[in-house]
Amino acid sequence: MKDGFRQSMAWLHTWSGLLLGWLLFAVFLTGTIAYFRQEVTVWMQPELHGSVPDAGTAERAVERMGQLAPDASQWTIALPGERTPAVSVSWRPADAKPNDRAALKRATLDAGTGAVLEPRETAGGNFLYRFHFELYGMPRETARWIVGIATMAMLVAIVSGIITHRRIFKDVFTFRPEKSALRSWMDGHVAAAVLALPFHLMITYSGLLLFMTMLMPWAVDLAYDGDRQAYFAESGFRRAASTPRPAPQTAALTPVAPLLAEADRRWADRGGVGSLTVTNPGRANATIELRPAESDSIGRGAATERLLFDGVTGQALEAPPADPQPAAMATGNYLMGLHLARFAGPGMRWLFFVSGVAGTVMVGSGLILWVVKRRSQRGRAENWAAGPEPFGHRLADRLNIGVVAGLPLAVAAYFWANRLLPVGLEERAGWEIGVFFLTWAAALLHAPLRPSRRGWAEQLWIGAALFTLLPVLNLATAAGHLGNSLPAGNWLLAGFDLTALAVGLLLGFAARKVGRNAFARKSAPAPVLPAGAVVEEPT
Amino acid sequence: MILSSLCIAYAGLLALALAMDRHHEQVFARRPSARTSRLLGWAGWLALALSLPPAVMAWGWAIGIPAWLGLLTVAAAALVLLLSHAPRAALRLGPVALVCAPFPTLLG
Amino acid sequence: MTTLPSRLRFGPDGRRCLDVASRSLAGIGGGYALAAVAAMFLALALPMPRAEAVYTATMLSFVIHAGAVVWAFAVRSRWVWPGLLAPTLLLGGGTWLLHGLQQGAPS
Repeated sequence: MKDGFRQSMAWLHTWSGLLLGWLLFAVFLTGTIAYFRQEVTVWMQPELHGSVPDAGTAERAVERMGQLAPDASQWTIALPGERTPAVSVSWRPADAKPNDRAALKRATLDAGTGAVLEPRETAGGNFLYRFHFELYGMPRETARWIVGIATMAMLVAIVSGIITHRRIFKDVFTFRPEKSALRSWMDGHVAAAVLALPFHLMITYSGLLLFMTMLMPWAVDLAYDGDRQAYFAESGFRRAASTPRPAPQTAALTPVAPLLAEADRRWADRGGVGSLTVTNPGRANATIELRPAESDSIGRGAATERLLFDGVTGQALEAPPADPQPAAMATGNYLMGLHLARFAGPGMRWLFFVSGVAGTVMVGSGLILWVVKRRSQRGRAENWAAGPEPFGHRLADRLNIGVVAGLPLAVAAYFWANRLLPVGLEERAGWEIGVFFLTWAAALLHAPLRPSRRGWAEQLWIGAALFTLLPVLNLATAAGHLGNSLPAGNWLLAGFDLTALAVGLLLGFAARKVGRNAFARKSAPAPVLPAGAVVEEPT
Repeated sequence: MILSSLCIAYAGLLALALAMDRHHEQVFARRPSARTSRLLGWAGWLALALSLPPAVMAWGWAIGIPAWLGLLTVAAAALVLLLSHAPRAALRLGPVALVCAPFPTLLG
Repeated sequence: MTTLPSRLRFGPDGRRCLDVASRSLAGIGGGYALAAVAAMFLALALPMPRAEAVYTATMLSFVIHAGAVVWAFAVRSRWVWPGLLAPTLLLGGGTWLLHGLQQGAPS
C-alpha cells in the first residue's frame, strides 16, 4: 500500500519533470543569467566601458538634460552604480500622455563627460530575461501560458519529488562520483534539489504568482465583474502616475548638489542616491524626487523611501507616504520580489545566481537521469538482447544533448555575435538573437547525427571553448578586458569575464569526462552518460 | 557578517554530516558511537542556528532569511564536493572555518 | 521503473494507459476546475476587503491545483473523479449562493 503510493509519486515526479523538462531547463538557465541582466547588457555594450562616474556625475546629467529635453514634462535619471557605469536617462515629451510608456524618450550619457553615448544596438541581457518567461517570436500571452504550465509542472514535480524521496535529507550530503553513473547522477540530482529546496519552491511558486491574474483570473473576474483594472487599482498594483500640469511661469532649477549630498548621507548604507526624477523642470512648480540605489523593501510595487524637494527653492517637501500593504499582498509581493531580486545587492545577487545554477543542474540532471536509468535497466543481461534502444529513449537523449549542452553553447554564441557582427548592421539586435537560435537549432540537429557520447563531448567542448575564449574576445574587441578591469577593480566587467572563464572550464571538465568514457568503453553495452567514472551495475 | 555566517554554517553542516554513519565513515573510516553521533548532531544544529544572526544583522529579517538559506546552499555545496573528493580536507576546513568566523564581523 | 507502480498497474497495458490518461486529465483539467472554483468561492467567502480576498484566494488556488494533481495520482483509480468533482460541485454551489446573496437576491 505504502509502496504503491510512493511508486505512484515517483511516476508522477518522473513524467511531470520530463515532459516539460527541456523547456524548464531553458527557463532556469536563462532566468539564472537574468539575475545579472544589467551586467550582461553592459558587457555587450563596450561603448559604455569608458564611462567612469565621479562626484559630479549627477549634476552633469541634470545639466545635460536641460539641453537635451528642456521642454519635457519629466526627466528620470538613473545614476551609475555597481551594476552599470553609465547614466541612463529618459524623459517624457510635453505632449505625451502621463501613462504612455511608449512615448518616453531614452538616452545613455557618459558619466564622466555627460556626452550622449551611442552604444551598439543589442537586446543584451534583456533578451535572456524576456526569453525566460516570454520565449521568443510568439504572441506574448501564448508564451506566458506555456511557461506558466511548465511552472505548474515544476511545482508538481517538486512536491511529488519530496514525497518520493522522503529520505532525501539523509542523502543530502552524499555524492559518489566513483559509483555507477546511475548512482552519481541520482546523488547529484538530489543534492542540487535539496540543497536549494527553499529557493526552488520560492522561485516556482512566485513564478506562478507573477502570472496569477492571467493563469487564474476567475476570482478577479467574479468579484469585480470582469473589471480587472478596478482590481488592480484597488489592490494598489497600478498606481496612476499623477503628474501635476506644468505651471505657466518658468523658473530656474535649484542646484542639485546640496540635495544629493543630504540624500547620500542619509542613504550611506544603501548605495547613496540611485535615481532622480525631475517633474516639470524649468517651471515654477518643479519637484525633484530622489530614490536610494538599493531598496530596503523587497516587495514588488512596495514603495521605497523617497525624498522630495521643491525644484526651485530646494526646500524639502513631504514625500508621499509609502502605502502600507495588507498582509496578503505583502506576502505575495515579498515572494515575487524575491523572484525578481530587484532589491538585491551584489552579495545577495550572487546567492540567487548560485541557487539558480542549482535549479538548472537539478532540471538538467533529472533529464539525464531519465535516460541513464533506462539504459542501465536495459544494460542488465536479460534486457540487453531486447534489440536496439527504443525510439523514446534515443529521442530524450538527443534532446538532452541539444538542450543541456546545446543551450549553453547558444548563449555563448550570442555573446560572440555581439562582438563579431558589424556595429552598424541593420537590425543588429535581431541578428544577435538570430545567431542564438541558429546555433541552438544547429546543436539540436547535430545531436541525432552523432553517437550519443560523441554528441555530448563535441557540444560540450565547443561550448567550453566559446566560453573560455570570451575574455580573449573581450580583449580583442573592447577596452573593458581583464587587463584593464582587474587593476581598476571594475568587478562589473571582470565578473562577467571571470564567470565566463569558470563556466568554460566546467564545461571542459564535463566534456573531458564524457569523452574519456566514450573512448574507454567503446564496445560496452551500457552507454551511460557523461556521468562520473566507471560504468557498472547500480546496486 | 556574510562570511561569518557562511563559516559557521559550514562548520554546522559538517557536524551534521559527521553525525551520519555514512559520512563519518568517509572521514574516519569507522562508525561513530551513538553518543558521538548525538553530540555532533546537536552541535551541528546549534551552529546552524548561530549562523542565522549574522545574516539577519547584515540584511534585516526580510532579506536576511532568504540570504541565510542561500548561504546554507553555498556552504552545503562546498561540503558535498569536499566530502566526496577530499574528505580529510572537508574535516580540516571545519575548525578553520569556526576559528575564522568572528574575523569578518570584527573587521567589519 | 520497469516495474509499474502497483496502483497504476491495472492489468493489460491498454487499461493502464487509460488509467494514466484518466488520472492526468482529472489532475490537470479537473484540478484546474477545482482550483478555479475554490478561488471564486474563497474570494467571496473570505472575511477580508475585496481585493485582499481575491488576492489570497488566487494565491491559494495554485496550491490547490498542485495538490489536486498529486492527489489524482495518489489515490485508487475509482476515487479520482468523484473525489475531484464532488468538492468542485460543492464549492460551485456555494459560490453561486454567495454571489447571489451579495448581489442582493439569489439569481
